Amino acid sequence: MKTCVTLMALLILAALHGGCSDEKPVEVNLSKREDLVAPRLVDAITYAYLPQYSHTISYQRHRQLLEYLRETTGLPLRQIFPDTFEEHVKMVERGEIDISYSNPFVYVRLAKAGAQAFARVIEPSGEPFFRGQIIARTDNAAVSTVEDCRDKRWIAVDPNSAGGYLFPLGLFYDNGIKIEDFETVDFAPGPGGKQEKVVLAVHAGVYDIGTIRKGTLDIVAGKIDLGAIRILAETQPYPGWVYAARKGLDPAVVEAVAKAMFALDRDIPGHKAILDAAGMKGIIPARDIDYDPVRELAEKLQLDR
Amino acid sequence: MRIFPRLKFRTKLNLGMSAILVGMAVLLLPLVGTMSASSLVEESKKRGSALAEGLSVRAVDPMLARDFLRLKNMVDEQSTVEDVIYAFVQDKNGYVMVHTFQKGFPVDLINANKVEKGEPLNIQLLADGSRRIYDFAAPVLVSEGRLGTVRIGLSQARIQLAVQRQITLMAGLFAGALLLATSLGTVFARRVTARLHRLRSHAEEMLMGNLDTISGPSWGVHCWEKQNCNTPQCPAYGETKRRCWYIAGTMCPDCNNEGNFQCRLQSCRLCPVYRENAGDEIQDLAETFDVMALSLKSHIEELRGAERNLRDQQRLTRTILDVTPDRVSLVDATMRYRGCNKSFAESVGMSLAAIEGKTDFDLFPEAEAEERHMAARDILQSGRRLDTQVMVEAGGGEHWFHVVCVPVFNDEGRIDGLLRTDRDISDIKRYENQLIQAQKMESLGLLAGGVAHEINTPLGIILGYAQLLQEDVDEDSQIHQDLAIIEKQTQVCKKIVADLLGFSRQTQSAKREMCFNNSVMEAVSLVRHTLELDKVAILTQLDDRYPIIYGDPEKLKQVWINLLTNARDAMDGNGGTILIRTRLDTPGGIVSLWVADNGMGIAEDGLKKIFDPFYSTKAVDKGTGLGLSVSFGIIEDHGGDIQAISPVPEGFGFPPEAKGGAEGGGTVFEVNLPLDHQGLDGGEPEKE
Repeated sequence: MKTCVTLMALLILAALHGGCSDEKPVEVNLSKREDLVAPRLVDAITYAYLPQYSHTISYQRHRQLLEYLRETTGLPLRQIFPDTFEEHVKMVERGEIDISYSNPFVYVRLAKAGAQAFARVIEPSGEPFFRGQIIARTDNAAVSTVEDCRDKRWIAVDPNSAGGYLFPLGLFYDNGIKIEDFETVDFAPGPGGKQEKVVLAVHAGVYDIGTIRKGTLDIVAGKIDLGAIRILAETQPYPGWVYAARKGLDPAVVEAVAKAMFALDRDIPGHKAILDAAGMKGIIPARDIDYDPVRELAEKLQLDR
Repeated sequence: MRIFPRLKFRTKLNLGMSAILVGMAVLLLPLVGTMSASSLVEESKKRGSALAEGLSVRAVDPMLARDFLRLKNMVDEQSTVEDVIYAFVQDKNGYVMVHTFQKGFPVDLINANKVEKGEPLNIQLLADGSRRIYDFAAPVLVSEGRLGTVRIGLSQARIQLAVQRQITLMAGLFAGALLLATSLGTVFARRVTARLHRLRSHAEEMLMGNLDTISGPSWGVHCWEKQNCNTPQCPAYGETKRRCWYIAGTMCPDCNNEGNFQCRLQSCRLCPVYRENAGDEIQDLAETFDVMALSLKSHIEELRGAERNLRDQQRLTRTILDVTPDRVSLVDATMRYRGCNKSFAESVGMSLAAIEGKTDFDLFPEAEAEERHMAARDILQSGRRLDTQVMVEAGGGEHWFHVVCVPVFNDEGRIDGLLRTDRDISDIKRYENQLIQAQKMESLGLLAGGVAHEINTPLGIILGYAQLLQEDVDEDSQIHQDLAIIEKQTQVCKKIVADLLGFSRQTQSAKREMCFNNSVMEAVSLVRHTLELDKVAILTQLDDRYPIIYGDPEKLKQVWINLLTNARDAMDGNGGTILIRTRLDTPGGIVSLWVADNGMGIAEDGLKKIFDPFYSTKAVDKGTGLGLSVSFGIIEDHGGDIQAISPVPEGFGFPPEAKGGAEGGGTVFEVNLPLDHQGLDGGEPEKE
């Protein structure tokens, strides 16, 4: 009797279970096909962030700012994402990037192509300057001073990276260490996210020292234990990141954008969120002359091409 | 038709195991199939979700960079996965940026599945003709913005195929398990049933009478070896056919030697001998079987011995009962015969077997049955034994039986039946009567002898004086006549006295050689006149060879006269004829005398007692009953015999001219006397 009841229960369970699995499908006809044509993109003022970080971070940082600018200026701004520094420069030269947000070294190159700086950012430190940093693993006793970096394996961000390569290269130069004095000098591979890649390579012990833009360690704070990374030295401050308008961009557009940018005030809650997301304290007007120290550094390093 | 009970046990085991497996398969396959199908679908959904979500995460950078190549590579990577039918990426406006379709894009797909804002994923089942597709839509999110949607299509057919494969695999596994279980079950069943078969064949042999079979295993250790036991007087010592725990009364100090089998067995559980020898239930059964067979064998032998003994006892008892002439019978409380001996059976004229269950009324005449029944009932009620003598008339004569009836008590003290013994004591009774008669005669003889001796003298004086006085008086005178009467009566008295003396053998015998016929004729002449007065004629047919015998003439004459006067008395006063015949039988050495009359004869009862003293059929004042008794004594004294036959046998030759006589056929007395007196002289000296 008991067995019968158990068997019945099992059968009922099986029947119920079977009944639950029924789903109503949506009828589609996969044979009805068409060649899709992409809709034409609306004309817009392109805005690009030098890809020192990954596109996602770039997007996250500047999404709100772009929305603000779109709302404030009424201009059709669109953020685009070049994969490399070089591509960024080329795109500005070709006029594909209307407003470029780049480091001072890149700007120096852009300026040669006719781009004109109109705004610079106030770094999170509160100054309109920024520095490069030389980092090493905390447990790497062989590297404790800048001098110790000779004959070591060095990873830098990009040949065009200001904080991540050129500023530290200047520091080494000042300390009598030339580029050929290192065992190896490598740059972070692949597109985007190069600052982070440097920190991670040093953290992994693949390289003895790494050079990054100051502030990068805050970006990777969630990815690694910052206690394992030691800052050997910091470079002198150089003018911060710069907004430049390509050659030939309507000055009214530049004016409107600059005006909207300068209007950003950390004391306004909405603006603070925009500025925090973009990793800056504010935006102030800039002139080409502000970047002469950078030009000097380039000259010193014989990078002036 | 009941097929299942007739199947072999081995087949039943196999069928049972197969049925269980098949039942399990039938029950479990749909259930497990459904469950595994469901879980496979779920897994596929999770996999599809993971693919879609992974793609959506990876698509962010290429989408931001509008890198169609990387996007295309990404979606193409997805289509390398076996069951992915398609993959494509839509931008936030729904435009398909890249897809995996070769020729054109199926536009129905664009709006077939949508993921709403805030949802991480949406799964939609699509149907395309024969195919079914799970479509996974995952949003491409970055920060809080949405760049577009990633779509991946997974073939449900492949999932179903996997489910089918799983069910087929399980069915195969079940089939394999069934095959394996059946094979192993066959081996297992064969092993089990082989032992059962051996048990059964041994049981059959036991039924056929062979109790020496051994069903249990012959291996194992023996307790006296394992325990190094030195107790040869223990019943288990040296026993190889039974395990020690089946033997009662073992003397092992570690065992429970008291109690029943279960109690004893309990103490064996820890014993090393038990642990080494004990087996499974079938071995227990086989060993128990062997013990049963052994016990049965010894019991049967005991029973056979008891049966033999019982049979001997029965035969002995039957022999004793059958040999005894006593009539022994046993009735139960309902007074029905339960058993009897041969003598009893013969007495009622039935077989032993036929008597069982009968009642007295079935076996005896009503009067006797009634008597026996009443007696039996009294004893059954009272419990007192009956010890009596009964006379039964049977076969034309009297039979005396000494009857002993004893109640039979059962174990509870109640009367269960009645044992009756009828011993024929007719002979004893006759001897007893004769003894009584002899004692009576002896006493009477002494008395009569004494009295006769005392009376004889005065009678002689009276007779003498009477004769003397007669001489003194005139013969014609009255006094002379009176004296004559006195003399005559005195003579009568003397005769009586002489008879008494003769009866008591006080008289002296004077035997000599004498003529038999003369002795007879003297007696005839003495009484002929008197008899003629009573109209009785005497005819004589005497043997003319004049046999000479050796005897007392006076006493023999007394016998003849007595016979003649008795014959006269038998005429009852009506007159008649007496025929006297003598015959000499020289070769036989005897001479015979017959005195026949045609009187009233003697009844059969009377014939037996006719020679008893004082037995008389005459009136009180007519006879003493001593005559024939005295005659008997005299003839016996002469070595002869006398007998009476009544009525006179046909062909006796009673003369037809014989007149008178009473109705009754008459009587004939036959006297045989020996001619030769040597024997008499030798055996009994002549008395003076």
